[in-house]
Amino acid sequence: MKTRNLILSLLVIAGVLLSACQPATTPTAAVQPTQPPAATSAPQATTPPEPTDTPAPEAVTISIWHGWGGEYSAAIEQAFKDYEAEHPGVTIELSKPDNLGDAAKVAIPAGEGPDIFAWVNDAIGTQALAGNIVSLNDLGVDEAFLESVYEPAGVKGVVWQGQVWGLPETQEGIALVYNKALVTEEYLPSDPLDFADLLDKAQSFKEDTGLPLLCNQGFPGADAYHVAPIYFGFGVPSYVDDEGNVHLNTPEGVAAGQWLLELSAFVDKEQTYDICNAAMAESKVGMWWTGPWAIANLETAGVDYGIVPMGRPFVGIKTLMLTPNAVDRGNAELALDIMKYFTSAEVQARLAVTNKTIPAQTAALADPEVAQLATLAGFGAALNLGQPMANTPFASAQWGPVGDATAAIWNGAQTPEEALAAAQTAIEDAIAQMK
Amino acid sequence: MISWSRRRKLVTVLLFLGPTIIGILMFNVFPMTLSTYTSFTNRNKFHPNPDCEVALTGVLDPVCWPVFRENAPRGLAEPYGLQDPLFANYDDLIGKLFSPEALQSLLMIGVCFVPLIGASVLNRRFSRRASPPVSPAVVWAGALALAVALAFALNVGEAYNALQKTGDFFIVVFRTIIFVVVRVPFSFLLGLMLALILNSKQLPGRTLFRVLLFVPWAASSLAILMALVWQFFFREQGVINQVLGIFGIDGFTWLNNPATAFGAIVLTDVWFSYPFFMVAILGALQSVPPDTYEAAEVDGASWWQQLMRITLPLIRPAILPATVLTSITAFQMFGTAYAITGGGPVQGAGQPGATDFVIVYAFKQIFNSQNYGRAAAFAVVLFLFLFAATLYSLRLTRITKGAYE
Repeated sequence: MKTRNLILSLLVIAGVLLSACQPATTPTAAVQPTQPPAATSAPQATTPPEPTDTPAPEAVTISIWHGWGGEYSAAIEQAFKDYEAEHPGVTIELSKPDNLGDAAKVAIPAGEGPDIFAWVNDAIGTQALAGNIVSLNDLGVDEAFLESVYEPAGVKGVVWQGQVWGLPETQEGIALVYNKALVTEEYLPSDPLDFADLLDKAQSFKEDTGLPLLCNQGFPGADAYHVAPIYFGFGVPSYVDDEGNVHLNTPEGVAAGQWLLELSAFVDKEQTYDICNAAMAESKVGMWWTGPWAIANLETAGVDYGIVPMGRPFVGIKTLMLTPNAVDRGNAELALDIMKYFTSAEVQARLAVTNKTIPAQTAALADPEVAQLATLAGFGAALNLGQPMANTPFASAQWGPVGDATAAIWNGAQTPEEALAAAQTAIEDAIAQMK
Repeated sequence: MISWSRRRKLVTVLLFLGPTIIGILMFNVFPMTLSTYTSFTNRNKFHPNPDCEVALTGVLDPVCWPVFRENAPRGLAEPYGLQDPLFANYDDLIGKLFSPEALQSLLMIGVCFVPLIGASVLNRRFSRRASPPVSPAVVWAGALALAVALAFALNVGEAYNALQKTGDFFIVVFRTIIFVVVRVPFSFLLGLMLALILNSKQLPGRTLFRVLLFVPWAASSLAILMALVWQFFFREQGVINQVLGIFGIDGFTWLNNPATAFGAIVLTDVWFSYPFFMVAILGALQSVPPDTYEAAEVDGASWWQQLMRITLPLIRPAILPATVLTSITAFQMFGTAYAITGGGPVQGAGQPGATDFVIVYAFKQIFNSQNYGRAAAFAVVLFLFLFAATLYSLRLTRITKGAYE
């Protein structure tokens, strides 16, 4: 008898362990393994096993994971609330995991990921390789449709290997945001591609006011994105191109590195997003090389700012992507509808006015209220000079090495030549591993 | 019937052992096997998914197990597979460490430690005599001077630079060892000093001071937060530079220089860890019988002599295990370094940063570069290294056991 009890309790323990291993299934599924496989892959339990053609207005929850920052989110949340109000039964859950990439990598294969995934378009290649996003072509979205609705940069940003992987939401790039109270006309760069001029002005600004002219979190921060305007402005065509060629250890790249080294004498050695943000708010720095996301904070701090383009920044396309989880849950059509709604001219124009973002929607850009925004003029000029962010997975090899090389130049650990040669080798090694 | 009861006994025993065995298999054996297997593959962000048709992958990768197979990710990427030269990941990490030049450099660094080992042996031999011919301090000082002279004569700086080029493993581990060697004695000295002060009966408000001085240890569960406070001290616009500014001294970017960044982390970590020594020593001090001190005073021993001849030898059994423990935690230190410098200042692309200690480096390999194969290889090498170190420390603790008896 005791043995039987033991075996029984062991079986119960094993059962509990096994069911704990598969969080996607409901406990009933673990007890009755004879159920059709459709039930195991549909954790929502709202979808019937047999798809019937009577779409009764039942409750569906669409979850969105995003990286929209602090001051941005209020208006964005409102936009989704409006959608909920128009579509009874639909609930939209927004959440912002600390590290989108890691969170997605763990959650999506386990079936616990979001339906929609809001990220910058450079993630497309890597995420598509990992199978964390699905192509939208199967759902009837093709390149021709995109071209009729979105800006060319936006379309280019979401198409990879001939397929559409997301819908573009906004375009982003960085420019010089300056404090009008500190930086007078004479210290503004005369030409966005004349770096020698900017260097002279940084020097004279330091001598005249004792303050640094520039703050850019990318200088010491191992951040290839924020230093991109400098490298590209000096003539580097891209860090890595679509074929996987690296263009860092070139005369243009070294010239950019040399310029950074010379600039480091006139500005603070340590710069992070928070340091720049605080220094701008306290009028301790003249300009902040940053993007539209920082504007809301500056307005809260009451800084009278202007925007001028400088160099050739990366143009990132904020993108809404669809996950395989949405397909498994049978939510794909609805999720796509929400994606189309959020990237529509009406919503994006409203967001552009409140959040000072730059829509990827052609019609939203043409909206008269949007067209007269000062931010659009300033950042728009920078974006026009900019370099679209590549979405090939090759590009994912560039971030670490370019950032590290720049930081090494900045602290003086390596000369520009050494640093960029090392970065070139590191990226080439990474790409070789990939091929 | 006998065989039946024996079989029954066996089943009962197995059932009792079962949960433990399952636990060990699931939480020890399986992860270790999987990491070792991963260390031979090219699994990284470009090859994230398994090919379940490969026999070993199918058995070992959880995604391939029947329960999860349904949800297995299907991307466009080529699945990961065994590296072409099987040891490619290991070769990247430590391969060049076995070249003749690297071995010669290692030998030169090793030679510099010979005088110190010699001093230790000599002192042990002298301590057995009734009156040592030379005092231990003199032997140590001589050995240290000889070691430094050797270091200069053999140009150890050059050897170290040569070793830096052999792959990440040497730099990261060597730097971590230096960190342990610098940090543990500082924690010990600070802990000892404070324990001796707190132990004196004349000190008013002893309990209050004991509580106050213990605060860092309690705060270390918030290591990241407190480390950020320390980071704020060392910033270019931080407290230290602001204070220096009052005296008209130009600030220094402490965290952008490899040496000062290293120093900042040592200082912070000493602050986090001295209370452990303080409490351990304070406890041990209580157990030293007071009459030994009375007897020593009658004999006219000075305070210093009492400390060196009575206090330290008597509290040694308590201190040694504490030192071994602290050294292990120092070796595994992550939070302080990651929060303050993030492993930087950066030394260039494809090189570990100046404060990339073992765990920080491993963390970055996995979470920043998503280079699982290489990170797993690092873990395996590190395991072998730590296993040897643990065996040695077991020997040390056996010495401690001898001291108790």
